[in-house]
Amino acid sequence: MAADEVRGRKRGTVLRRLLLTLSSILALAAIGLLVFLARKAQTVDNELHLQRLYHIRAVDALDVGLNRAVTQVGVSTMVNVADTRAVTTAQLGDALDALENGDAGLRGLSPAVDAALDAFLDAVESKFELAFDFEARNIRTNQLLIAGMDAVPVAADALLAQVDEATAARLAPLLAQLKTEVTTYGVVQTPVNEANIRRLLDDVAAAVDGQSEAALTAARHLRTVSGNVIADKQELVGRVSDFLAKPTAELLQALEQAYMDWHASQVAVANQYRQWLVAYAAILLLVLALLGIRLVRSLRALDAANDRLEEQVQARTQELSRALKDLKASQAQLIQSEKMASLGQMVAGVAHEINTPLGYARSNTEIVRTSLGDLRALVDAQARALHLMTHEEADVTQVADALAAARNIGESLNAAELIGELDNLLGDSEHGLAQIAELVGSLKDFSRVDRSRTDLFDVNDGIDAALKICQNQLKHRIEVVKAYGKLPQIECSPSQLNQVFLNLINNAAQAIDGEGKIYIHTMPSAKGVSIRVLDTGCGMTEEVRARIFEPFFTTKPVGKGTGLGLSIVYRIIEDHGGTIDVRSSPGKGSEFTIELPLRQRTDSTTRDAAAAVAVTA
Amino acid sequence: MNETVAPTASKARVLFVDDEPRVLTTMRVLFRAQYQVFTAEGGAQALELLKTQPVDVIVSDQRMPGMTGIELLRAARELNPNAMRILLTGYSDLNAIIGSINEGEIFRFVSKPWANEELTTTVARAVAAARSSAAAAAGDAPAPTIGPAPGVLVLDDDPTVARRIQSILGSDFRVFGATTMDEAVSIMERERIGVVISETRVQSNPVIGLIGTLKQHHPELVSVILTDRADAGTAIELINQGQIYRFITKPIQDSQCKITVSSALRQHHRLAQSPELHQRYAVAAPPPAAVAPAAKLLDRIRSLRTVVKRWV
Repeated sequence: MAADEVRGRKRGTVLRRLLLTLSSILALAAIGLLVFLARKAQTVDNELHLQRLYHIRAVDALDVGLNRAVTQVGVSTMVNVADTRAVTTAQLGDALDALENGDAGLRGLSPAVDAALDAFLDAVESKFELAFDFEARNIRTNQLLIAGMDAVPVAADALLAQVDEATAARLAPLLAQLKTEVTTYGVVQTPVNEANIRRLLDDVAAAVDGQSEAALTAARHLRTVSGNVIADKQELVGRVSDFLAKPTAELLQALEQAYMDWHASQVAVANQYRQWLVAYAAILLLVLALLGIRLVRSLRALDAANDRLEEQVQARTQELSRALKDLKASQAQLIQSEKMASLGQMVAGVAHEINTPLGYARSNTEIVRTSLGDLRALVDAQARALHLMTHEEADVTQVADALAAARNIGESLNAAELIGELDNLLGDSEHGLAQIAELVGSLKDFSRVDRSRTDLFDVNDGIDAALKICQNQLKHRIEVVKAYGKLPQIECSPSQLNQVFLNLINNAAQAIDGEGKIYIHTMPSAKGVSIRVLDTGCGMTEEVRARIFEPFFTTKPVGKGTGLGLSIVYRIIEDHGGTIDVRSSPGKGSEFTIELPLRQRTDSTTRDAAAAVAVTA
Repeated sequence: MNETVAPTASKARVLFVDDEPRVLTTMRVLFRAQYQVFTAEGGAQALELLKTQPVDVIVSDQRMPGMTGIELLRAARELNPNAMRILLTGYSDLNAIIGSINEGEIFRFVSKPWANEELTTTVARAVAAARSSAAAAAGDAPAPTIGPAPGVLVLDDDPTVARRIQSILGSDFRVFGATTMDEAVSIMERERIGVVISETRVQSNPVIGLIGTLKQHHPELVSVILTDRADAGTAIELINQGQIYRFITKPIQDSQCKITVSSALRQHHRLAQSPELHQRYAVAAPPPAAVAPAAKLLDRIRSLRTVVKRWV
């Protein structure tokens, strides 16, 4: 049954370990899922997004800047315009690079974005090509335009110089207007006054009609020069408008749109994950809450159990202390009953020892009393014979009869022998009574109840008293070899020590099967006295030796020994501040060595005295 | 020590054994007028003497060096079965007494210190029994009787004891259970009983009176005591006043119980066949106080005689 229990417990342990592993794996999986969802929900990096948008804006701004630069080429002749454009172009190149590649690049985000990016980059590239293409020519055209514009006033002045005064007066405002118009045409970005110039030229031509050849030639030259300005300006304007017509802004917008679409989709996915995350987190929270509730409940149960446990512990403690008290009481009782048992055994032995002499002494007394009756008859007969003999009136035959009767009685009694025998019987009785007196004396010596706890005592006397008490156990069977040293008297409880000696001698005698010897050695020692009791008995094993002073340990059959004898010996010796040791080997015998101090410690004396009084009582 | 005055053949021979020579001296003085007295200071010496000198009565001390009284009496019983055995002892522990009953089959216990009159009476009875039964002593393995085998009566407060004994003995034996003395006597009136197995007390009353009266009036009845309240004093009473055949203790041991009952039944048969043996198992008169069971019950026991006679 116990094996089943152990197996069951083992199975339970394995199961619990398995469950623990499983639940840790589950917890890890739950945390993993949480981390995964959180990462997914955060896929859209807002910073990157802003950076990308910034790149797009930057490209847009630079594109606009480039356009402005290109447009300004038409109006400004200053060299640094080209420089500005070159700087802008370089910036644009960097911005484009940043837009396409790098951490915040758009390349590879999605096919739609890639397509929009490609389209935009193509447009920008073609714009760049266009820009390079007309960079050089633009400058020349510009120079031609400027030269043409400069030539127009010169030609107008030359014409004015060829005409008469009247004509000149008419021509002067026309020419001034023309100059203004031409200059306006050349300077304005997208001039609309070509018709004005044509009309003014026509007006000039009309005004000089009929004038000298030179004037006509000058007028024609003026027309040519003005036409050059218009042509150059138109070329310039056309090129700029071509450049500006490149749809980079739209494409960039499309790219932005594509990116925004991609971003929106990403955000949507992230939102999806976020929702899942929220749902999952909610589930986790729910589970946590459930676990928490369960935990609280188990804690509450634990608290209750603790309270109960405390009560139980208290109850148990009370039970235990009660049991301990009972145990102590019953131990005291047992010790007392062991004392009574050994006393009973002792009394039994002594009773036999006493009953034998008492038996023959009593029987002898009865015999003597009976014989005294016979002797009285003899004495009476003899007295009567004597009386008759000394009486003068007595008849001779009467005297003879009386004498014969007395002799007959004397002969039948064999009086002399009888008296000798009675004497012997009385001697035996005396001997028996002396023996009884000695036994009673040794009992008294042994019990020593008439002496106090701290008496000065010769241990040798105690051993002799104990030996007398268990004489009947040893008689004819065991030889006691005594080797007594001259001992100082020690302070002790003689009755208790006598019990120790009796117990040890009894044990030794019981260890000897058949005939054997007990050696008892005493000698003074440094501390006090030393007593050794050796026997030639059966000895004991190391196992038994280690336990012989334990209460209730016995090797005797049930009912033969209480197992308290040696434990009481141990306690008595300990109470006296002494030590007891045992050496033994199976089959060879045992040796008990007792060391006793000369004087008792004062503090323990009172207690022991009280104990001794209690025991005696 | 031999008295040459009277012819030795007519004087009974009594052996005293004690390790105290003064006791032997006293015995010699006390008994030499009536008997031929032999003495021995130990068991071994006594057995040596028995091998050459058959005696009628052996009186032995229990506690002696070398050999206890029980050991001596058991050995003497084998050497000289006809001799009556008396144990004279100063102190007897229970085991010694049970041993002397079961193994020594002794006639009486006499305790030290003894009264001369009591001792001489006891020895005189033993001598008379030995002399009268000398012829029939060897009678062993008697022929089976006709009719139903005598039954076994179990007297115990606990009714399960009878059932237990029936189951131990098997169906060849008839076992009757009784829990009161009245019931026991009623059964004996109805049935032929050879062996009575009894506790020492029934319904808080000692059975010694019943056992003694039964033995007195129906010497062929054999009593066995089966008890868990063994004590030395009761056992001595039971042997002296009840002549119990065996004394065994609970718990019941199957084989011991079976052997005891079989042997008791054989003893019963022997006694029924040879009335001259009865004196060997005569009981001592109980002290007046011990005649506790009601007089009516005793009358009934006495009247049993005729019934028993019819069976025998």
